[in-house]
Amino acid sequence: MDFLIDSFLSALLLIWSIDPELLVIVQVSLKMSAISTLVAAVVGIPAGFLIAFKPFYGKRLVITVLNTLLAMPTVVIGLFVYAFISRRGIFGAFDLLYTQKAIIIGQVILIIPIITTFTITAINRIDDRYRKTALTLGANLLQTVVVIIREARFGIVASIIVAFGRVIAEVGISMMLGGNAKGFTRTMTTAMALEYDKGEFVLSVALGIVLLMVSFGMNIFFNYFQGKARV
Amino acid sequence: MLYELKNLKKTYDQRTVLDLKKLKFEKNKVLGLLGPNGAGKTTLLEIMAFLTKPDAGDLWFEEERVNFTNAKLIDLRRKVVLIQQQPILFTTTVFKNVEYPLKIRKTPISERKKIVKELLELVGMGMFEHASAHKLSGGETHRVAIAQALACLPEVILMDEPTASVDVENQINIERIIKEINLKKNISVIFTTHNMIQASRLADETVFLFEGKVAQSIYENIFSGQIEADSNGYKYCILHSGMKLRVSSQKTGSIRISIDPCMVKLNQKESGHSMYNCFKGTLIQLTDEQSRVRALVDVAGTPLSVLIPKDVFKGLHLDLGEKVWVNCPKESIDIF
Repeated sequence: MDFLIDSFLSALLLIWSIDPELLVIVQVSLKMSAISTLVAAVVGIPAGFLIAFKPFYGKRLVITVLNTLLAMPTVVIGLFVYAFISRRGIFGAFDLLYTQKAIIIGQVILIIPIITTFTITAINRIDDRYRKTALTLGANLLQTVVVIIREARFGIVASIIVAFGRVIAEVGISMMLGGNAKGFTRTMTTAMALEYDKGEFVLSVALGIVLLMVSFGMNIFFNYFQGKARV
Repeated sequence: MLYELKNLKKTYDQRTVLDLKKLKFEKNKVLGLLGPNGAGKTTLLEIMAFLTKPDAGDLWFEEERVNFTNAKLIDLRRKVVLIQQQPILFTTTVFKNVEYPLKIRKTPISERKKIVKELLELVGMGMFEHASAHKLSGGETHRVAIAQALACLPEVILMDEPTASVDVENQINIERIIKEINLKKNISVIFTTHNMIQASRLADETVFLFEGKVAQSIYENIFSGQIEADSNGYKYCILHSGMKLRVSSQKTGSIRISIDPCMVKLNQKESGHSMYNCFKGTLIQLTDEQSRVRALVDVAGTPLSVLIPKDVFKGLHLDLGEKVWVNCPKESIDIF
């Protein structure tokens, strides 16, 4: 127990003193998670909207596949992307392996199903009367879409929170596609795994605390935003 | 002519909800669409609001044929606005809800504020300007929806059962607003209702819909019943309340029956009009309806409406609570 308390206190000291190594790891993690979430949101939100809104053949199958992808292990995505971007892969010429781009590609694949399925659920829950009201008030198609997305915004924002939480906490993709290169592709989670292997418990705990603080901060921010928006 | 409909059909899941041969609506009037639930009133309003495409037939608006696949449909929608039976407001303030149609029409901000304030005053919601739209009651939501519709500066307002889910105070308010917008703003109003009394109070003209079709008779006094034959071969319709009417129909089993209130005779004594279909009841309500008086008679638990011309009514000297006799002649009965 003393060991845990000592590690915890040392970790807090490390955070308080703004350790440069810790700072770089946190920066890399936040940067990649933010980019991945942004890219996935740009793809996933319109995709979710279209799937929810447009009737088409095979819609149920698409939703079932997306729901299945929610349970996809990160190592499977890591292997899959690795097959494409390794030297022998079809995108091998782009030299993507062990770069931040490789991690972002893997993470985007990981969270697109999350954002898409959450958006589908959020849009499906919106009363059809909103669509009819917007149209009868003279809105064009784009303005009607904006009305529906505005009404579904709480669900869509929730999808972004969940997706961000998923990428900042994942290890498999970052490890397999990033290679855990110090100052470059070392994220909070891969650093934690490495420090644990080395027996350096303090940095691991410090990173764990930062990780939880980031998630907590994100949730406070979005809760505040949602509270404001609900008038 | 405001609207003209020809052979208009709409089917949902192989069920024909609308099948109209021909129908016309004139401009600058208040028109009432009457009919029981499932008569196709809402579907017709949605077609007339250019929100739902009919499966077959033609619709003309202001003498021009409506093309439901045309991109110009938005121009037509900007002339007609539909207020749904249970209107829904956007998750924002009352002000922003009413401002929305002006915003998408690119009305200058300074003008918007003035118009929104005026409209909210008109519907008696001025003090709720900054309130959250989702915290309003049903009646208040309805009034804001009317203000929102008026902000569109429409030529036509379509209202789906405008007072169905509001209390009496709000009903009176909404009916006053309907009259005002028609008279002062020259906006044509078409509303649906299943309340005959409200329709005759508000509407210049009424159209009766029944099972998706324009009904020839008033189709009031609609009841469910069972047709049975006696040992002499005479057929009777027995209503759920126990009221037994002699009918001549080929149909058997469960049916629906309508008794035309204009043809039902009301007397203070047992009349000699007919040997059958004479029932004793209690006069429970009298309502003034322009050239006629509506009498509601409770016949052993069945509320039966009778429409009496005013001159005939004067001669009857009827009092509420009085025992009366109603006679339903063969011509007044329709079985379907």
